Amino acid sequence: MALLNRKSKVSDEIPTASMADIAFLLLIFFLTTTVFEEEKGLPIVLPEAAAEQVEVSQSNIIHFLVNEDGTVAIRRGESQSEQMVGQSEIEGIMRQEIADNPQIIAAVKTAPDAPYRHMIAVLNGLQAANAERISLQLWER
Amino acid sequence: MAGKGGPFERKSKVASEIPTASMADIAFLLLIFFMVSTTFRREQDRHLTFPKAAETQKMDERRKNILHVWIEPDGAVYINDSRIPMDMVGATVLPHYRDTDRRLLVSIRGDRDVPYRFVNAVTEQLREANAVRVFFHTDKESRARRERR
Repeated sequence: MALLNRKSKVSDEIPTASMADIAFLLLIFFLTTTVFEEEKGLPIVLPEAAAEQVEVSQSNIIHFLVNEDGTVAIRRGESQSEQMVGQSEIEGIMRQEIADNPQIIAAVKTAPDAPYRHMIAVLNGLQAANAERISLQLWER
Repeated sequence: MAGKGGPFERKSKVASEIPTASMADIAFLLLIFFMVSTTFRREQDRHLTFPKAAETQKMDERRKNILHVWIEPDGAVYINDSRIPMDMVGATVLPHYRDTDRRLLVSIRGDRDVPYRFVNAVTEQLREANAVRVFFHTDKESRARRERR
C-alpha cells in the first residue's frame, strides 16, 4: 500500500507559464516580417497580337493626344482640329461622349517622351467616366 | 482608533490580479492570424514612385497569378529581380503565362516619370506573349486632393 500511495515529487504537468512568452516572440517575428502588399491599379485588357484588324469608323473614335508637358488635346473623328483640355475635364467630356455614342472608342495617344503619369491621368479620367473601349497607342507624329 | 477589521484593513474579496491564464490563447490567435496572412516578399522593392490615380481599384486575383513588371525611370525593365532587355520581355513572360493556365495578370509597375515609349514597348511585348490582362500599378489618390491641385 505504501508503494501505491507514494507520490512523485516531480511535477507531472507541462509548465505553461512560458507559453505566452513563446507565442508573443513568434507573434513579434510575424508582425515585423509581414508586408501587406496590395495589388491595385488601373486594369485594362490589351488587344491580342493575333487579333484581326477591325475597321472602325472614324466617327466612333475620339483621340486624346497627350503631350510631353502633360497637356491633352482632343481630336474627334477625321477632323484635324484639336481642342486643348485640362486633365480634370476628361471625365466630364468622356461621359458626354458615351452618352452621345455608346460605341465610342477612346484612343489615348501619348508622345514617346511624355512621362507615364500623364497617360495614367488620362486613363484615370476615362475609367472614371466608365469608358469600356479604350485603346492605348504611341503618338507618332 | 479603529480596531482590527476597521475600514482601512478591509480586504476586497475580488482578486486584484489581472487574469493571465488566457494570455497565451490571445497571443496564439494573433499569431495564427499573422501566420496565415503573411506572404514573404518574393522580390526586392525597387523604390519607384508610382503615379497617382483616383480610380485605383483593388485587384482581386490570386497572388500566384500576378506577375510584376517593373519599369525604372531610365527604361530598365526588371522581372523577378533580374534585368530583362526590352526585346526579351515577351519571351520572359510567356512561361509564366503558360504556368498560370492563361490566367496571368501582369502588374505594370512603372515609375511616374518613365517616358511613355518604354511603357508602350512593354505592352507591345506583353501582347506578343498573349498576356493581355494587365493593370497599371497606381497609388490611390483621394478626390479632395485632386480638386485642390
